[in-house]
Order: sequence, then structure tokens, then C-alpha cells
Amino acid sequence: MKSGKIMSTLFFLLIILIPLDLFLIFKVAPTEKIMGDVQRIFYLHVPLAFSAYLGFAGVFFSSILFLWRKNMFWDTAAYTSAEVGVLFSTLVLITGSFWARPVWNVWWTWDPRLITMLILWFIFIGYFLLRKGISDQFKKARYSAVLGIVGVIDIPVVRLATKWWRSIHPRLSREGGSLDPLMVKIFLFSLLTFLSFTVFLVFFRFRVARVEERVTSLMKRLED
Amino acid sequence: MKILELRGVKKRYHANSALNGIDLSIEKGNSLTVLGPNGSGKTTLLKILSGIMSPTEGKVIYKNNQASENDRKKEIFFLGHKNSLYNSLTVLENVNFVCRLFSRNNGDASVENILREYGLWERRNDPVGELSQGMKRRLAIAKGFLIDPDVFIMDEPFSGLDIRWRSSTLSKIKDFKRQKKSLILSTHLVVEGYELADYIAFLHRGKFLFIKKKEEVDIEEINGLFDSPEETLK
Amino acid sequence: MSFLANAFSITSKDIRLEFRGKESLSLMLFLSLLLLVIFNFALDIDRDNISLLAPGILWVIFAFSGILGMGRTSMAERDEEAYLSIVFSPASAESFYLGKVLSNLLFLIIMESFTIIFFAVLFDFERIIGSLLELVPSLILGTVGFSLIGTLFSFLSTTSKYGEVLLPFLYLPVVVPILLGGVSSMDIVLNETVGEGTGKWHQIMIAFDILYFSLSLLLFKYLIEE
Repeated sequence: MKSGKIMSTLFFLLIILIPLDLFLIFKVAPTEKIMGDVQRIFYLHVPLAFSAYLGFAGVFFSSILFLWRKNMFWDTAAYTSAEVGVLFSTLVLITGSFWARPVWNVWWTWDPRLITMLILWFIFIGYFLLRKGISDQFKKARYSAVLGIVGVIDIPVVRLATKWWRSIHPRLSREGGSLDPLMVKIFLFSLLTFLSFTVFLVFFRFRVARVEERVTSLMKRLED
Repeated sequence: MKILELRGVKKRYHANSALNGIDLSIEKGNSLTVLGPNGSGKTTLLKILSGIMSPTEGKVIYKNNQASENDRKKEIFFLGHKNSLYNSLTVLENVNFVCRLFSRNNGDASVENILREYGLWERRNDPVGELSQGMKRRLAIAKGFLIDPDVFIMDEPFSGLDIRWRSSTLSKIKDFKRQKKSLILSTHLVVEGYELADYIAFLHRGKFLFIKKKEEVDIEEINGLFDSPEETLK
Repeated sequence: MSFLANAFSITSKDIRLEFRGKESLSLMLFLSLLLLVIFNFALDIDRDNISLLAPGILWVIFAFSGILGMGRTSMAERDEEAYLSIVFSPASAESFYLGKVLSNLLFLIIMESFTIIFFAVLFDFERIIGSLLELVPSLILGTVGFSLIGTLFSFLSTTSKYGEVLLPFLYLPVVVPILLGGVSSMDIVLNETVGEGTGKWHQIMIAFDILYFSLSLLLFKYLIEE
């Protein structure tokens, strides 16, 4: 019941945080001089990327814990995190496209961050294909845990390898100085909102998955 | 000494349970025959005993946990449903490969003896894929005896064998038993299973209906169990 | 010592299996040749652009023929559950993995050598043979990476009901750093790019190989249990 408490707390927090965040992004944040209103995607896009990475980090640690403890709990945790990770990485790629079109005049560009996110997205689509193809749940859990660990470990290597192409991605660190302090504050607020939303989603999806598992096992028992 | 022990072992596939709480302990040098209808969980039980499959719940204990993982692998031999042979390799190459992994230098004599005994020597240079099902089964069994493990786990050893090879395999397994080695087998051939057993277990829907000393079991009773397990037990 | 001996036993078994069954290497070579012909039609290769196109063409072929071959060799293990004869032997999971990596590596190297020769002959590009000495480090490092991931993932994919078909979906995204390293190194060598060394690409491939070798040694044992 502890997770239930965290969930309801997060839920009420998010009822306040999400509208407030949207209000800050669209009404309070100053319009960027060069890029104009489209720059507001930044407040969604970057936190979404963090959320996606949080999801995949969840897969990584849950997978390790599964192989260690051999407890199906961690498998459920791993694949629910993976689902949330795939959802957010899809959104990152889409919002990135909307940003890139007016700013760089292209829908897609072969930038290290984009490629890394795309590769990660591919790996985890493969993760779900693998899961779909194995029927023994224990085996499915073990095999996808191996893929989850290998896939996430790949991120820094892909990132490093792709970095040696010229990057045209706007960098927070360099332009941070010129960024309006209000922008930074709103960005951080948005980041907080999205990360709590991610945690909430993982918890929520996790509970649904547990109920699903319970229902299928009860159905089976009825059939017997 | 207890050689293998299961404590509260359960195994589920999806939501189906294959094993539903199995407790078992096998002393060194004893043999156990697991009988039961198709789908009762025999193969799952043997796979868990062999260590290739982990249970969903419960524990598998080998030699009171005093043997290393590597010892376990070395000392247990599992003859599965499938024959675990490389179809493109010849009979001899299959045998030599396994001997090499076991660092057995049995010499050509013992390989030749056992292959002759199983009627495979003439076919020794043929790829396994070209052999009949019965011959493949014989080769798989012969491989096991060549390795001469401490614990031999056999899943339906007689499947695919005709009467002649069935009886010679039976006597071969008896020889193996005489060396004070442990044997666990599953079969639906009641007579052969009964003959080889020290203990007999009857598995039904993932549970033991009984596990008893052979002397306490009547062979007619077992035949009855196959027909209608619930009623016979009442 | 028995660790290495067991690994070599498994490798030599695979070589024998290939010699008897001719199931993976010949298919790999055939696919390489076929892909070269397809690329010829698709890309309109001539004297001027060949050195620019060569790295991409070759590494794409290496990747795809490799997938085909490694999928086959692991299917040979799964067929009739033949791999259980290794699992129920004193050979550890790690030596099993190493043995398979070595045999896959050998087949990949043979396939790559032939592909490069085919390429040189078909497109009249002898220069690539001349610069082979400079290309060898990146070829070896990249091929080791392919074999490490391919061996691990072909065991993953062959248990699923999709079988080998799943392999490219798992394998290709993960080997992206190797592809980048291989293509870039070959590009630098063939086009003599000024101010660019192959050193950093070699480094990233070494890092990849070490990372995945140690990781796979830890993880492979989970793939041979049922």
C-alpha cells in the first residue's frame, strides 16, 4: 500500500503542477528574440528527453535486480519502465521535429543527441519484439533483462561515437549564460513536473500490469 | 547422503502452473521413476532437477549445497526429449566432441565398444541427420553411458526405441544402477519404469499423488491411476 | 586452462560443423557477392566515387552477411537442443560464449576477406588491397565487436518464436558505434583525409569491445538456462 500512497500524493501534486507548468510556459515565459514562440517547445522537449532517460534507467536497474533476485516483480518494473521510456522518447523525437522545422529548416538532422535517442528507441522497440516472441514468462523476463542491460549500456558509446560528427544542437551549457534567468527557472520547474509525471506513470502502469497479471492467472484458474 | 532435494518447487508458464509444490529428496545411489500422464509436468520436473530450468518458487539443492556449480554440471547428465546431437556432424564427431568437453580420454576402444553395443559402429562416419529416429535416440543414450555421470536424468529414454533396443537399454540402465549411481527417469512405460525404480512417484497436474518405495506400490494400481487418477486414489 | 581448452573445443566443433554442413559461411559469401551486385546497380559506382562509397558499401555488407551467418550458427545450436550437450558438460557458460565468439569471428573474417577481394575485382579497385595493412586494425576491432554482440544476440533471438528474423532488429542498433568506427576509419584511410587520424575511432571500438566482452561474460549464462 506504500506505492498507493506515493501514487495518490503524486496524482494530487500533478493536478496542480501540470496546469501551472503549461501556464508558465505559454503565458509567463518571455518570447525568445530569434526563434520566437517556437522556442517554447524547449520547455517540453528537454524535460521529455530527461523523462525518457529516466524510464530507460528504470529498465536498466530493474533488469539487473531481476537477474540478481529472480523476482518477477522486477521484470514488471523493467517492462513498464521500458514502455514509459518508449512513449517519452517517441514524444521527444516528435517535439524535436517541430522545433527543428522552423529553427533549422529541416524536420530531421543527424545530430548526436537525436541519433542517440533514435537508436535507443530502436533498441527498445526490439525489446518489445523479443518479449512478444517468448511465451515462458520467466524466460521472457530473463532474456529481456539481458537485452535491457546491453541496450542501455550502449547509450554512452553511441553518444560518444556520434559526437564526432559536427553537432548543431543548441547547447544549454554554452548558451546558459545568455539564457534569461526566468527561462531557466521555468525550465527547471517544467523538468520537475515532467519527472514527477514520469514516476507517476511508471507507478500507475506498474499497478495496472500487476492487476493484468492477476486477472490472467484468475481466468486460467477459472478455465481449469 | 542426499544427492538431490526439491523444496516447495513451483513452476508457472504464463498463468499455467506446470508444477504445484513439489517436495522430493533423493539419496545417493537410489533411483526414482516419475510416472504420470502427458502434460502432468514430468519434463518440467526433470529439467528443474537437472538445473537447466529454474523454478518459479522453491529450492533445488544438490548435494546439500556442498558441490560447486561446475561439479553439478559435470556430475549430472540430462537426456532430454530431444537428443542434443549436431545433425551435420557424424556419429563419431558428436561422441568425440562430448568426450573432449568432459576431458575423457576413453580411448577409441571404449567408444568403439559402446557404439557397437548400440549398433551404431557401422554408421560411425555418417552424419547424425541421416540416421533414423531410433538410431539417434540410441546415440543420445550411448553418449550418456560413455560419459558415465554420477546422476543420470532421463526423460522418456525409451521413446522411439523398438522392443529389441528397449530391452537392451533397460539392461544397460540396470548395469548403471548397480554401480551405486543415482538415476531419475520419467516414462509412461509402467513395466520398465517399475523395474528400474527404488522409488516411484506419480505426477498428476503438477503434484505428486504419491511417492513411495517400489515395494509399497502395486503395478495394477499404477495402471488404474493412468486411467482415472482421482477415483483410484479415493 | 580448461576454460580455454573448452572454448577451443567448441570453436573447432563449429569449424567441423561448417565443413560438414556448409550452412553459414557459404551463405554469407553468397549474400556478400549478391549485395555487391545490387549496390552496383543502386549506386552507379565509377572511378571517381568508388573510394568515397567503398567504406559504406563494405561495412553494410559485413553487417548483413554477418547477421545471416551468426543467426545460422546459433540455430545449429538450438536445433534438437544440441547446445544442451555443452550445457551439461564441465564447460562453463563463459567458455561456451568464448568458443562461439571465436568461431563467429573466424567466419566473419573469412567472409570479410572474400568480400574485399570480390570488391577489388568487380570494381577494379586494387588500391584497397594496397591499403589493407592500414585497414586491418579497424577491421579486426570492428569484427570482434560484431562477433561479441552477434553471438549474444543470436542466442537471444533464436529462442523467440520469430527466430533469426529478430536478430537484425536487436543487433543493428547496438552495433552502431562499430559501424561508425569501421566506416570512418576506412574512409580516412582510403580518402587520406587531412588532419584526421583513425586513432580515436580505434579507441572507441576498443572501448566497445572491452565493454561488451566483459558484460557478455556476465550475462551469457542467463541465456542458456531454460
